[in-house]
Amino acid sequence: MHQVVDTMSDGATNTNSDLSHRDVSGVQEQPIMASAQSYVRREKLAHLGLIVSVVMAFGAISGQLLLLGLSSQPTISLAAAEPIATSFSRPDIVDRNGRLLATDLEAPSLFADPAIVLDRDELVEKLSTVLPDINQADLRAQLSDKNRRFVWIRRGVSPAIAQKVHNLGLPGLSFRTELHRAYPAGELAGHVLGSVNVDNKGISGIEKFIDSAGAADPVHSATLSTRTPVRLSLDIGVQHALENELENGQRRYRASGAAGVVLDIKTGEVLASASFPSVDPARPEMATSPVRHDRIAGGTYELGSVFKTLTIAMALDEGIAKPSTMLDVREPLQAGAHTITDFHSAGRPLSVTEIFTHSSNVGTGMLALQAGPERMKAFLGKLELLTPMKTEAGAMSAPQLPRAWERAELITMSYGHGLAVAPLQFAASVATLFNGGIRVNPTMLRTSAAPNSDSAKPAQRVIAETTSRQMARLFRLNVTDTSGTGKRADVPGYRVGGKTGTADLAARGGYQEKAVISSFLAAFPMDNPRYLTFVLLFEPQGTQETGGQRTASTNAAPVTADLIARIAPQLGVTPQTIAATQ
Amino acid sequence: MRLLNLAAFCFVITSALFLYGLNYETRRLEADVMAHERAVQKARSDISVLKAERGHLSRPERIDPLARRLGLAPPTIEQLPTSESLADLQDPAIHAPGR
Repeated sequence: MHQVVDTMSDGATNTNSDLSHRDVSGVQEQPIMASAQSYVRREKLAHLGLIVSVVMAFGAISGQLLLLGLSSQPTISLAAAEPIATSFSRPDIVDRNGRLLATDLEAPSLFADPAIVLDRDELVEKLSTVLPDINQADLRAQLSDKNRRFVWIRRGVSPAIAQKVHNLGLPGLSFRTELHRAYPAGELAGHVLGSVNVDNKGISGIEKFIDSAGAADPVHSATLSTRTPVRLSLDIGVQHALENELENGQRRYRASGAAGVVLDIKTGEVLASASFPSVDPARPEMATSPVRHDRIAGGTYELGSVFKTLTIAMALDEGIAKPSTMLDVREPLQAGAHTITDFHSAGRPLSVTEIFTHSSNVGTGMLALQAGPERMKAFLGKLELLTPMKTEAGAMSAPQLPRAWERAELITMSYGHGLAVAPLQFAASVATLFNGGIRVNPTMLRTSAAPNSDSAKPAQRVIAETTSRQMARLFRLNVTDTSGTGKRADVPGYRVGGKTGTADLAARGGYQEKAVISSFLAAFPMDNPRYLTFVLLFEPQGTQETGGQRTASTNAAPVTADLIARIAPQLGVTPQTIAATQ
Repeated sequence: MRLLNLAAFCFVITSALFLYGLNYETRRLEADVMAHERAVQKARSDISVLKAERGHLSRPERIDPLARRLGLAPPTIEQLPTSESLADLQDPAIHAPGR
């Protein structure tokens, strides 16, 4: 009896087994005498020992039960839920005015239990009448494994399809309600939104940002998120106008691609960002195609003459030149084996203003040489063009810098070659230029309504205010001047200023023949720059309208004009009468 | 003593009945709560579907061609009065009686 109790309680508590051992040894130590008295005493002792052991054993068992009950609950519930994949419940994504861009919907997901399926072939046969694109061989193989109790067939089907499958009346098929991400606006802002995987987990763009910000909650059932929606800086109206005009431009100039961004200069908010060919956030596999990558943030390009904006700004800010300073640009510049000439040589010395409006390569090259590599580097660094930049939609492609900052690199860089940046990063740098020289941090989220109230990031002046004003004047002049390259971008009443850029498209081992990226960088209204647009056309062709030209002044500039004419009234820019602007 | 026993017995019976009733009432309420929770869940789900539908129907891609077919277009500068032109405006209706 002692032994039995002992083994029962063994391992439950040490004290208990020690005690009972002592008991047993206590009994054995008694000298063996043939008297009845000692026999009674032994009996009594044995009784007492028995009672103590039983009490101890029960105590140990109840203690162990209590411990088990307290500790092992989570393990049990996890085991029950294990075969079913964890899904994520996500907050809605809305635009700056609260219009819906992405939401979770409850959708039935179809699964099979191979153990219950009666006729595998019949099931696959009948199922393919409702779901024609099902992989029959694959499904047969999965269903033949009778040890499995769970096989996904299709996740997130429409209620109509679910009803049809239900009507087939096949045993072993069942539904589970899952959350499924829906994008009511279709392909609108597809690149910015990114996409989710089959478990509703963000894998790119803003969707990934939501996950990393901890706003996506893991759920075991279809539980709609009660979190407040993620409010983007995008404006659906502006985004649509941008996408529409880019598509028009791409068609009109037979370009292989197009991209554009609209930025609020005062707050750094991205109001619209688009890249063509576009992607559908509901079809994540589309984004993996290289031609569909995000050309605004996900690719770096040598941008060409728009970059002269920064060279001229640097010259003005560093005090190397004034807008009226004259430079003799008649002689071509030698840079190593290359000779730098102007596209349209003026045949006379030009002022810095004219260098900008004529888009003179020689002129900007000379200004860059005067400044030298150190000051050039420092200036571009101040504008955050040399280091990788990121927004909430993910990191932008890191800028590609020249290996050395020698004479040749300095000259080519001055007019936008030899340094490749993501267009959004470039736009943000120029926004700083027009924000009175105060740094602009691009953001995809709506900031507070009042500009400059963001106390977390104090206003950081990087460029002199006079430079900012001078650059605004140059930009406006480039559009109003009859010889300005941007005159086709003018929109009456909205004081548009801008700069063209026609860059040779880089290819392996050099530049492609007759393939260019033409771009137009614009800001409006120029008397107090508030909005910035940057439009790029990839490999546009010469058309009758452009007189066979591919330059930005003939294609990207008119696209920008159409864009601004559409978005300026939406953005509430007060127009001035034509008489007042001149 | 007998009276006391009787009273105790009655008390036991009534409290047993009361508890029994309470138990049933609780179950009924629980079922009620669950029905309401289901209704809330259903309503949430419906709201999300309706929201998505509204978003889908009001997507600019659809509204744009519809609006243009109705003869609408983005506003031109001529349609937007400036402060100067408003000052010049002499609207006789403003001074009309009965306003």
